Order: sequence, then C-alpha cells, then structure tokens
Amino acid sequence: MMKKYVLLFCCVLLVSTLISCDTSNFGNISQHIGTAMTVADATSKAARPISEEEEYYVGRAVAAKILGSYQLSTDAVLTRYVNLVGKTVALNSDKPFTYGGYHFAILETNEINAFAAPGGTIFITHGMIRTTASEDELAAVIAHEVAHIAKRDGISAIKSARWTQAATIIGTTAAKNYTSGEVSQLVGLFEGSIDDIFKTLVVNGYSRSQEYSADEGALQTLAKCGYDPRALSSFLKRLEQRGRSSGGGIMQTHPGTADRIENISGKMPSSGQIHPRAIEARMARFSGAVR
Amino acid sequence: MMKRTLLLSLVLTFIASAVFAETVTVITKENAIREYAKFFAPVKANVRYGDRLEAFATEGDWYKVKYGPSIGYIHRSAVEKRVVASPASYSRKGSSVSESEAALAGKGFNPQVEASYKKQHPEMKFYLVDSVERYPVPDRDVVQFIVAGGLRQP
Repeated sequence: MMKKYVLLFCCVLLVSTLISCDTSNFGNISQHIGTAMTVADATSKAARPISEEEEYYVGRAVAAKILGSYQLSTDAVLTRYVNLVGKTVALNSDKPFTYGGYHFAILETNEINAFAAPGGTIFITHGMIRTTASEDELAAVIAHEVAHIAKRDGISAIKSARWTQAATIIGTTAAKNYTSGEVSQLVGLFEGSIDDIFKTLVVNGYSRSQEYSADEGALQTLAKCGYDPRALSSFLKRLEQRGRSSGGGIMQTHPGTADRIENISGKMPSSGQIHPRAIEARMARFSGAVR
Repeated sequence: MMKRTLLLSLVLTFIASAVFAETVTVITKENAIREYAKFFAPVKANVRYGDRLEAFATEGDWYKVKYGPSIGYIHRSAVEKRVVASPASYSRKGSSVSESEAALAGKGFNPQVEASYKKQHPEMKFYLVDSVERYPVPDRDVVQFIVAGGLRQP
C-alpha cells in the first residue's frame, strides 16, 4: 500500500514539474524560442548583420547629428507628457525593449516632422505636436515612429556595400588581431552608416512599403494601448490639409498622405469602447501639456 | 523498491526540466526578472547585457526563466538565444592603445568606435543625446498615467 502511495507521489511530482515547465504551451519552449530566433535571424540577415548594441551606438550618433540640425526643446511639461505617451506606446509595441530603451524628445521647430533614430530615440517636432488634436493622435504619431524602430528600418538604410566592407574587417579574425588601421576603417564605416541613415530620415524618407508597414504596426499598437486606432486616420487627414499649404518636412519624406489614409482604411483593428471619462481625462492632460 | 522509485522519479524530473530548458542571453543594457508576466510586476532580480538565463516555459510574449536562485519572467524582446560578449570586455585595460582599440573593434560599432568618432567630430552634440537618454520616466509615473487615461496596462 505504502509503495503505491510513493509511486503516486512520484507521478504527481513528475507531472507537476512538466506542467510548471510551460504554463501555456506545454513542451514547446524549444520550438517557441527556435521560431522566434529564426524570425529574428532572418530579419537580421535581411537588414544586415548588426547587433542590438551596435544599433544603439549607430542610433546615438544619428541622434547627435539630428541635434546638430535642430534645437532641443526645453519645455519641461511637454517633454514629460510626450515621454509618458511614448513609454506607454513603446511598451505595447512589437518590441517593447531595445538595448538602450526608448527615449523621446521634442525639437524646437515649426517644421512638421518626427524622426526615429535606430535603437530607440524618437524626436518629434513642436510643429508636429501642434498638428495633433488629441492624445490619441499624438500616440498615433509616436506609434508610427516606434514601428520604424521595431522593424529596424533605420538600419536597413545603410548601404549594403558598407556591410560587405564591415564583414571583411570584422570577418573571422579574432578581435585581438585587429590593427589600428582596421579600427580606423570601422570608424569610417560608422560615419558612412550614420550619413546613410540621416539622409534617409531627413531628406529622402523611407520606402512606401516601409511607411505603410509602420502605419499598420501603429494601428495594432494603438489598439493594444487602449487608444483609438482611428486617431491615425484623423491625424493624417489633418496633415494632408496642412501639408497642401506648408510642404517640406514630413510631406517631403513620406509618401502621399492620401495614399497612407487609403492604405489603413480597411485595416482598423477593434479597440473596444473607450469610456467618455477616459476621453475627457486624456483631452484635459493633452490641453494642459500642448499649449 | 521504494528508494528506487524515488530515485527514478527524481531522475525523470531532472531530465524533463533539462529537455524543456533553453539558455537565452540578455540583449538590453539592463532589465528585470519579474514576478509574473507583466511589465510592471514586482522585480525579482535585475539582469544586465550578456547575462545568461535558463528559459523553461513561455507565457504569451514572456519567457519563464531561472537566473541564479530567482525564477520569474522576462519579455522575449529583451533576450536572444545567441551568446553576446559581456560589456566588461569593452573596459578591459590593454597595455597599449592599439590592443584596447582592437578589443573593441572586434565587436563592430561599440563604445570605442563612438569615442574615436567623437574625437574626429567634436561638433557632434553627444552631450544632448546623453541628456535625452538620462531623462527619468519612473515606472510608477507610467502606471499612473495609464490608469488616469483609461488605457490598458501592458
């Protein structure tokens, strides 16, 4: 009888251990991690071989270059507000964590634009913020930029020839065998990469498909946050009206706004009912911060 | 017989854990192992870039992991299966400049490449980038913001 109890106890112990191994998809951890890594690896190869850490350092230099062209805002209230909206959005994105985290800053210019430096630093211009009419619309703008970071669009702007060169330098040689000349070549590639990204962000813009994809990613993120995804559409409509008269900025670097509106029109995710009190609370804090 | 059965069960338990476990590496500067699979769950342990964790389950976008004596959750975007170099290797003090440079260059674009770039471009406003990165946004403020705005806690 005693033996039976011991055997039963052992079975229970084994089963409970196996269950604790996976609370959702029993036994699939290898498969899950494997699949996640395969996707990540494929993305990495498509964009070129660069680690999250390297992306962070490239992004810091791109951010420094942007701050050489625009003045950083000192509006403390607005900076805090944009950071809170930004953090909320980033946590609900496809990539809540980057090597150095997400950071949000405002550029003191009337130009209507926003830039996502690789790795997670997002700049939004005062002109862009003033074009939004609600917190949900501001969140839509930020969600679009976060999507560019999650998809590593900035890094994909680096010319492929640079990666060929970088591979030659980094290659298979052990790190300790690099010469100062090779280090100097890496710095040259670093500078070239920064210029490629800066030119794409500020002058040429991303491809139409990258912009559409960032808009679609933003819709999903907004819905996950509890923001109204239709805010992206309403913002783009207002942008289109403003853009006709202003030109430059985002109108120069992004595909036709009417095309972007059409692209997302049939892709609105369900976000559920937003309580009127929540709408009021958001509008009150938006009005308080965006003066 | 009883002892043998107990031993067998312990062996099977060990094998089951080993079969389902994977080692993942932290790829963010710093992160946390949380008590449950939520961003603002209590922190059980702090981890840094390069720390290796034993992942033995998934829950949505989170891995259930073991790090030292701590068991908890970490988001999948904070880890990778590959092994990454520890930042300590970057601060290794070589006997000559070239050795130090080489150690860093081996990692591609890294702190030393940035340092060399800064030297060549003193006009670049890295101090402003540092101030943007240092801007504090405490978790409790984000939670309050989410709740006050009727948003969903991730």
